[in-house]
Amino acid sequence: MGRTFTQIAAVTMMNLRSIPDRLWTSLSTVIAVAMVTAVLLGFLALANGFQSTVQGSGSPDVAVMLRKGSGSELNSNLTREQSLLVEEAPGLARGADGKALVSPELYVVVDGIKKSSRTKANLPLRGLGVRANQVRSGIKISAGRMFTPGTNELVVGRAVSRQFEGFELGRKIRLAAQNWTVVGEFEAAGSVFESEIWADVAVLQGLYQRGSSVQSVRARLDSPASLEKLKAYSEADPRLKLDVQAERSFYAEQGKGMSDIILYLGWPLAIAMSFGALAGALNTMYASVDARMREIATLRAIGFGGTPAFVGTMVESLLLSAIGGVVGALATYLLFDGISAATLGSNFTQVVFALKMTPQLVVQGVVLALVIGFVGGVFPAWRAARVPLLAAFKEQ
Amino acid sequence: MTLIELVRKNLFRKPLRTILTVFAIFIAFAIFGVLATFQNAMNAGIDTAGADRLIVTNKINFTLQMPIAYVQRTRGVEGVKIVTHADWFGGYYQDPRIFFAAIAVEPASYLDIYPEYLLPPAQRQAFISDRTALLAGETVAKQFGWKVGDRIPLKSNIFQQKNGSDAWDFTLVGIIKGETARVDTNFVIFQYEYFKETRSFGGDTIGWMIVKTQSPKDNANVMKAVDVMFANSPFETETQTEQAFAKAFLEQAGDLGFIISAVVGAAFATILLIVGNTMMLTVRERTNEIAVMKTIGFTSQRIFGLVIGESLLLTVIGGALGLLVAWLLSFALQNATGGAFGPMTFTPGIAIWSVVLMAMLGLLTGLIPALRAMRINVVTALGRK
Repeated sequence: MGRTFTQIAAVTMMNLRSIPDRLWTSLSTVIAVAMVTAVLLGFLALANGFQSTVQGSGSPDVAVMLRKGSGSELNSNLTREQSLLVEEAPGLARGADGKALVSPELYVVVDGIKKSSRTKANLPLRGLGVRANQVRSGIKISAGRMFTPGTNELVVGRAVSRQFEGFELGRKIRLAAQNWTVVGEFEAAGSVFESEIWADVAVLQGLYQRGSSVQSVRARLDSPASLEKLKAYSEADPRLKLDVQAERSFYAEQGKGMSDIILYLGWPLAIAMSFGALAGALNTMYASVDARMREIATLRAIGFGGTPAFVGTMVESLLLSAIGGVVGALATYLLFDGISAATLGSNFTQVVFALKMTPQLVVQGVVLALVIGFVGGVFPAWRAARVPLLAAFKEQ
Repeated sequence: MTLIELVRKNLFRKPLRTILTVFAIFIAFAIFGVLATFQNAMNAGIDTAGADRLIVTNKINFTLQMPIAYVQRTRGVEGVKIVTHADWFGGYYQDPRIFFAAIAVEPASYLDIYPEYLLPPAQRQAFISDRTALLAGETVAKQFGWKVGDRIPLKSNIFQQKNGSDAWDFTLVGIIKGETARVDTNFVIFQYEYFKETRSFGGDTIGWMIVKTQSPKDNANVMKAVDVMFANSPFETETQTEQAFAKAFLEQAGDLGFIISAVVGAAFATILLIVGNTMMLTVRERTNEIAVMKTIGFTSQRIFGLVIGESLLLTVIGGALGLLVAWLLSFALQNATGGAFGPMTFTPGIAIWSVVLMAMLGLLTGLIPALRAMRINVVTALGRK
């Protein structure tokens, strides 16, 4: 046992030391594997970034109420009577004045100009009820101040001012055929709210001739468990019959569709590319075995077993692909991590998100690299283990 | 033995290596073909846009409405040939996750303005005369297995009927085919009049107008005249060419072009290395015999041609196989996506690009090994052992 181990160690070291002799071949395997890993991780970081932005948006103790069957805030419509009825519902948190923490909201689409492409893109302009601040938690005005109700003042999400033109603090901007002043910028822990523009709901109602109707009502629950009470209350009243969801699950559902599409594209592409890289790895390792044919046969002749030759070749292949995997992961991290991207979300408006690498993703990339290394090594290693003794005496 | 025969024999001397290399090339071209098909689908709206067609939307955002009276007023603008209008219905059939466009239109003028929609005259007539008629694009009809005469209930996630229902009943009176495979037919259309009278809100408003000009030369004047006419009204407009509108719409999804180029670039950089490397190995292994060939009178040019020919043959075999598979996959992808991303078409342009790429790849990977082979010194090579 000890002897086999010494032999394995010796042959493996010989293998690894001879890599510089095949520098270009080995390098091409490393780069091919790095490319595959980078493509996979690029897609995974894209999907992960989008998903964590959208799914991180909801709070479990905020309920979102929409017209039944509308599916999104953009398509929903609720009357003033309905929003007043919601205020009477059980299970809602109440402010110091004893009133329920409820925010009737409008959600309309306006045009913004993307800085990157200078083309128009749909931005959400949300009208907030007076108690919106108490309904939502985790919102921080990072610059300037909140808008004054009843005026044409706006606050914009951090992502909007980063990605779109003309939203700097203090700027006047024309949206929805009106002049507005940007008086503040807010942070919302990287959630979709940072892709929104906020104004007073009453101002928007007037502007859009909506009368007193709204599109959604948000309410703070006294505990996440109270959602069921609210649902029962809404179902029991024929004037309501709303879609009642916890904000967290509302956004979780929205995030899933898009990131699924990205994953459905990313994995098959990465797997197809892996097969290409695998072909390269096999060529490299077969060449490596062929080049050492005489050396391996000589070792066999002086009493070395087949196992050391097998292990030596495997280790070489796994090492090359592991280096490729790490290089690919590092390159993706340096090139893409934190890069800001924007796409159309399920409300038909832009969702700004950042590509996000995590250790779990890196593990997936390196595992794929090692699979390439394993399959690319095992067949050549098998050949190495079965080199006939005669090969030692063959002319090369 | 001719040069070509020699190239062929050389290629299959190490069959395993050749097969693996061809396989790597095959994968790269298959990826290229599939992604180009995908890009074709995304760009179909831009590429099939009519040069003499303009889109008029609400200036605030294209999801907002404008009064129907705008249609008549626009018809009076000089340089305008046809004006029609449309409304986004937000419709779905049974499953809201299966996407297609459902649009309420003015029947005759809508069909006139899109001559690329092919329809038998009798079906056209039925659509114009029947208030609850529905025309389906071929992609949608195929997706759901609809036949002419079927009764089709469509639901809307935006509108409701006055009676509180969110489902509208239609009769399918015809199926629209695209003039070419690139024309997107993932839509249904029905009469605006029926929609307007039954919906619970929206009144006499429309979603957008499509304007056909007398000639593309009139576009600029018409665009300006329309927007000036409606300026300072509660419903200001923005008029763009159909192509510009389609482009901006696609931009909203994000920089898809960059993603596709990055993946194709990575795939080709990878095989460039793999094939180049294989050719280097091959030449190195054959140093002796190349020296022998030179000794017996092969010119350096012929040796050069031999190596380049081998790398070209490799890329052409792998590339052709990859294209074949991408072509077959384009049909599968069209079925799998149901046309949701646009028509997945494998156009001749993809094949032409592939041939260019094959030639470039073959020459590039063969060049250094071929130069090396050409410069092999007979005396050193043969005296090496």
